[in-house]
Amino acid sequence: MGHRSGFSAQTLAVLAELAATPSRWRHGYGIARDTGLQSGTLYPVLIRLASRGLVEASWEDEQPSGRPRRHLYRLTPDGLATATAALAQARSADPVQPGPRARDRRRAAARAVQWSG
Amino acid sequence: MERLTRLTAALLRAAEPVLPSEHRAWAQALRTEAAEVPAGRDRLAWLAGGIRFTLRAAVLNRGLGYPLVFAAVVVGTAWTAWSGPPGDSAIVINRVDVIAISVILAGLPWAIRRAYGSVAHSRSARMIRTAGYAAILLLVLVKAAVERVADAPPNNLAGSAVAWTGEIMFLAVMACYAAAILAWTAGRSPVRLATVMTGGTIGVALGTLVYLLGPLGFPLRFTGWWPTHLYDAGIALGVLLALCAPVATGLAATRRACGSMPAASRVRQGAMAGLYTGLAAALVVAILSTITIALLPYDDGLRNWAVSHIGQWTPAVGQAAPVVGARLGYVAGNSAFAAGYLVVLLLSPLAGCGLGAVAGRAASQVDPSSSSR
Repeated sequence: MGHRSGFSAQTLAVLAELAATPSRWRHGYGIARDTGLQSGTLYPVLIRLASRGLVEASWEDEQPSGRPRRHLYRLTPDGLATATAALAQARSADPVQPGPRARDRRRAAARAVQWSG
Repeated sequence: MERLTRLTAALLRAAEPVLPSEHRAWAQALRTEAAEVPAGRDRLAWLAGGIRFTLRAAVLNRGLGYPLVFAAVVVGTAWTAWSGPPGDSAIVINRVDVIAISVILAGLPWAIRRAYGSVAHSRSARMIRTAGYAAILLLVLVKAAVERVADAPPNNLAGSAVAWTGEIMFLAVMACYAAAILAWTAGRSPVRLATVMTGGTIGVALGTLVYLLGPLGFPLRFTGWWPTHLYDAGIALGVLLALCAPVATGLAATRRACGSMPAASRVRQGAMAGLYTGLAAALVVAILSTITIALLPYDDGLRNWAVSHIGQWTPAVGQAAPVVGARLGYVAGNSAFAAGYLVVLLLSPLAGCGLGAVAGRAASQVDPSSSSR
């Protein structure tokens, strides 16, 4: 179910999470943990945002000890502007309609609105 | 749980190559980040999400969707055509048929891609390819159903050498059909997609008409003078339409190409339109007629009709051995298929090509712009 902003609740949740600390690079599992999204939902969202130039992605420069290199994400300037506008619009949006997996969507939307506030 | 997690991680790694290249880094990121997810259920869920993401991306980007559907259809065809008593020459032929056609249909896209590029960026091109492949596999399937009885002892009157020769010819013709369909719908095809679409649509209509007018698609017996002559007139009209259809598509394709192509290329468009008309018509006639033959033993009315009708086409079969009842329908039907429909499959596209080329040449000469080129 899309919002009036044109983004799904899950996408809004990811935008809100990244917009909370726009200059900080985030990794996929961190975003998934904080938004409650599954990897199979999060990565298509990140790919769509990256293909629209709203998110930039990069591998860690150096190999850290004890763990593999991370793929990192943050909002581009365009992405930050779009996220701010979309989240402001989401705050005034209609409640999410019930339907399949409505609980997940409501949770993600609630988080998105909460963080954007 | 740990073993299942490792297996899922291995699956995810193995599935990465099926993804479009622009998505592989994302899949790799997802997989490497699994190391940071707490071990156990959470990590397994993370990796399972990765499998879901990989499958979805592969299918949506057509990297995997068409091969998966093709594999499923081939498995279904093989499962249907495979059954039968071991040692029966008809079953051996059917099995070879399914394996050979699967290899041909799976390998040809690769070969055609090298020569003419990938499929054209058009829904019509994909639709034509899908319909063409479905038609070839359907023909293989119904042909196997007929041969399971017709070529099995004691009905195999023609002998295995003849059956194998027919089989090799059939496979060669089907390979040519598939290659033509793939080449004409490729990105660098020498034939316009509109030409293929026009030829194909008219060919399907023509094939259906020919089947309906022909003896197999018209199981009614007329006894009166008027009905009989009306039916004969219908057949004459069908023959006329069969000759006119490639000419009409050839003319249409040539006229459409006028002004944008040199004269020789316009004639080629006409020839290809006629060829595709003949090809589509032959496929439709062969499929519908073979389905009818395959249904003979299960339909008393159809079988009784076949005894008095199809048998008359093939008196040689009746002379070779006394054949009665249900076997007559099958033997005569198979004989009609082997001797008749293989010829139709072989000659119809060639005749269409010739008629389309003649029409294209005529239209090209009439066109005033041809003289300036």
